[in-house]
Amino acid sequence: MIPSAFEGARIVMCKELRVSFRQQAGWCAMLMFALTTLACVSLSLSGGILEPKLQAALLWVILFFSSMAGADRGFADEDMAGTLPTLRLYGASQSVLWGKVGYTFCLLLILAAFLVPLYLIFLDVMILRPLWLLAAIIVGMAGLSIAGTLLGALATGASVRGGIFTVLMLPVILPVFLPGIALTDMAFGGEGGSGSYLLGMILYDLMLGVAASLLFDYLWYDD
Amino acid sequence: MPVIHYIAFALTAAVIFTVVFVVPPAEGLGNYVRLAFFHIPVAWVSVLAFLMSAWWGQKVLRHHDMLADAKSAASARLGFIFTVLATVSGAVFSKLTWGSYWNWDPRQTTIFVLLLIYGAYLTLRAAIPTQRRARVSAVYALFSFLTVPFLVFIIPRLYFSLHPQPVINGSGHIEMDPVFLWTLIAALLDMTIIYWGLLYHIVCGHRHKDGKDGETI
Repeated sequence: MIPSAFEGARIVMCKELRVSFRQQAGWCAMLMFALTTLACVSLSLSGGILEPKLQAALLWVILFFSSMAGADRGFADEDMAGTLPTLRLYGASQSVLWGKVGYTFCLLLILAAFLVPLYLIFLDVMILRPLWLLAAIIVGMAGLSIAGTLLGALATGASVRGGIFTVLMLPVILPVFLPGIALTDMAFGGEGGSGSYLLGMILYDLMLGVAASLLFDYLWYDD
Repeated sequence: MPVIHYIAFALTAAVIFTVVFVVPPAEGLGNYVRLAFFHIPVAWVSVLAFLMSAWWGQKVLRHHDMLADAKSAASARLGFIFTVLATVSGAVFSKLTWGSYWNWDPRQTTIFVLLLIYGAYLTLRAAIPTQRRARVSAVYALFSFLTVPFLVFIIPRLYFSLHPQPVINGSGHIEMDPVFLWTLIAALLDMTIIYWGLLYHIVCGHRHKDGKDGETI
């Protein structure tokens, strides 16, 4: 029986979660990267007090670069393990895309749940509007996971691995990154950001989703 | 030599003459305004080259057109050069008029992100094996094009800008001296023709070298 696209995506996502829990290396690398970066920032500041805007920018910079250590693994791991042709044979393109987006979204939410509390403790940050921070992070991570999955598929097989994913990601994700910083600034008590920023992020996420869905077919059925 | 080169040469000479000898110093900017007749056209071509690269990218995906791939790649390379010129001329103009080379003004941000996109496109193209190169590059050209509406239309309106209003302002009126306006239109047309001429030259050169549709660009 051929599963529906939604059921297929759920199966791919469960497969990804099961494999990554079994291997654990990807999670550990990403979380340790986040912790190491946070420790570097906190140590270099030596307890200094930052403006809310700087606090917000630093949080998103750490989130962005930490996510780069895990968001591209979906296709790269399959390629290295040699399982990509099998997945291509059995998985419909949209099921694979959205299954991997769902997996990456879970991965990035766990990263944020790990990093943000530690960040608040280490940098002694007060949250005045927690719901704005939560919304910014959820919508931001959704954008990162959609763009990361498509660009991860693009970068598969590239002769230069290190750094290329980040180079591809940054310009595409800036319309999520900059409003995310502004909203986080607002959550930390600053004056930047407003509801329209969140709306802009959601709209951009939707555009990324539609474009990824349309373009992924050309990559998946390329030969 | 195709006729487009003669047109570009004649128009460039006319624009240089007008900018140097006819255009008067502008109120508040003085003679620095002459730089705008170079800066604005190269910035325009930077965006145009990006649009054309994405346009030919969709032709690659829909029709497997390798000539379109050659055009898309050539357009991205030219776009990168024009974006560097726009960034440098903008930074010099910024220093002369506002006192610093760089201040992350929304339009400076936009042009810099465009530079990053072109750089990423060319890096990706260099890193991908030949058999997947056309398709992967086309997908990235189209995917990164999503940022354009946000960078060109939304971010300049969200953040404070030192740049003046666009030529056609929000109320739909053109508030520019006719000499400035017509010189600017001629400069924009000239730079667009130069872009097309260079594109034609690059694509034809590669086709001639490869004896086919520029597959190795």
